[in-house]
Amino acid sequence: MDRIECQWCKAQNEPERTSCDTCGAPLDKRNLVTDSGWSEAPRLRDMTEFRFSNSTCQVESEIVPVAELALSPGDAVFFEHHVMLWKEPAVPMAAMNTGGGMKRTLGGMPHILSIAQGPGRIAFSRDATGEIVVLPLHPGMELDVREHAFLIGTHSLNYSFVRIKGLTNLLHGGSGMYMDRFITQNYPGLLLLHGYGNVFQKTLQPGEKMLIEPGGFLYKDSTVAMNTIQMDIKTGMLRRGMYLAEMTGPGRVGIQSMYVHHGSE
Amino acid sequence: MTSYAPPTYTCPYCRMVNNDDGSTTCPRCGAPVDIRLRISNSGWCKQPAIRDMARLRFSRSTCQISGAYVPVAEMQLHDDDWVYFSHHVLLHTEPRVRMDSLRMQGGWNRIMAGMPLIMMRAQGPGFVAFSADHPGEVLAIPLEPNQGVDVVEHQFLVATGNVGYQWHNSNIWYTTRSGDETEWHYPVGRFIDRFIAQGMPGLLLLHAPGNAFVRDLGHGERILIQPGGLIWKDPSVQMFLHFEYPRGQYWFSSARWQAKSIWLTLQGPGRIAIKSVFEQPELNGSVVRNSGATTQFW
Repeated sequence: MDRIECQWCKAQNEPERTSCDTCGAPLDKRNLVTDSGWSEAPRLRDMTEFRFSNSTCQVESEIVPVAELALSPGDAVFFEHHVMLWKEPAVPMAAMNTGGGMKRTLGGMPHILSIAQGPGRIAFSRDATGEIVVLPLHPGMELDVREHAFLIGTHSLNYSFVRIKGLTNLLHGGSGMYMDRFITQNYPGLLLLHGYGNVFQKTLQPGEKMLIEPGGFLYKDSTVAMNTIQMDIKTGMLRRGMYLAEMTGPGRVGIQSMYVHHGSE
Repeated sequence: MTSYAPPTYTCPYCRMVNNDDGSTTCPRCGAPVDIRLRISNSGWCKQPAIRDMARLRFSRSTCQISGAYVPVAEMQLHDDDWVYFSHHVLLHTEPRVRMDSLRMQGGWNRIMAGMPLIMMRAQGPGFVAFSADHPGEVLAIPLEPNQGVDVVEHQFLVATGNVGYQWHNSNIWYTTRSGDETEWHYPVGRFIDRFIAQGMPGLLLLHAPGNAFVRDLGHGERILIQPGGLIWKDPSVQMFLHFEYPRGQYWFSSARWQAKSIWLTLQGPGRIAIKSVFEQPELNGSVVRNSGATTQFW
């Protein structure tokens, strides 16, 4: 019998499933794509459950969704400590030093990420209306994520951070000074992000360009080049120039519809 | 030979007449056409959310609404069409879309009122998308030629190029005194925007935090609303303040300072729209002067 391919993560699923076993996307609903090619991130049904490694993740509620993990022994996830909503007392915690202390301080990023190890249950959520975006990462993938946007990453992911290059990026880019970078090596990994508002993804072809509001940037494949460009447009009495992020393919770009402004005001 | 006119229907939300082409959403305002009107017992009609991926048509362009929490309005602009907007609502654009600025008159007053001094213009061809920064709904208001609406400031998302934009004093204010200081309050904003379609039909998109409700007011009919809850109204609808003082019949009553309610009275005829998320007006201090208000002591 034919298996069902998930339109979001491309994983193969048993024909009787109604949601993807790998990312939780509904399998019985059409992928929603705008006329210009932006795909809406799949809206996960309340209580949708999917698996990673030997553990499971259940996404609950819809306005400010919660990701509840049932970690198996040997599995672990890392996260920024303030996104933890609750946990069973027996779930062991550890700390992951991220390196680059002073640079991260200046960039407003946490020095230490927390690690929760199985067995046990633990749940996470962020603090605004939005969507959880589930991104299974295959071996050899690199993903750059706006700072303070990731909810959890599985222990098989290598975590680092990259400085957004260029002075104009730092001053006007709007997405912060650093981006989180997640890399898979020999094993697949799972990354959960929280996007403010609604999340859309577009795959850019080689050389294809798209301009986005820097505050709307959420994630991109590391193959996508990001540069801040100044539009020659007056936006106020004493302000000249509006800054947009120019994304150049190839690769995926994710944006969020409720965005925060930094230097673009 | 007998010719038959195509069947038409009137959208109950935007009141526009459309050809019945079997579409499940109104092509002018995006409202679902295959649902029943949801009207509360008191007469408020719930403005239904525009369905995900619904398309609106204007001139030779389209507008597609996507998302549910903070919807995105994605315009596919024809070569001859353009739209204007405040720069902070731009979400993404194709590089081929031409952008420039549209200077507004009355700069100093606009700055003082916290309104954008300069609007931006996006000229087709190409895709350009807009979104606001609060969970809520996108409201599409199609306008017939010379039809206008008054919109409370900071609700505006984007409008087609043929929709004229004016702004004027809301003339809704009151002052309070604390010691020697007099504080001015503008509970619906110091200015109010008026959008009028010029020469041909136009499209106005607003973003309302929370949910939106509309109702018709008959001649002379009045309703009290929270001043911060108003989204838009027909220009024919009059508005003024109304103060209520529970147990405040004595001038020295503390209720006179603290326990008052500040309402906005809307008086028909015309349509009004309100939102379920709003800011409370400042309630502290004794009202000294006002722009014209009714008062009730309970």
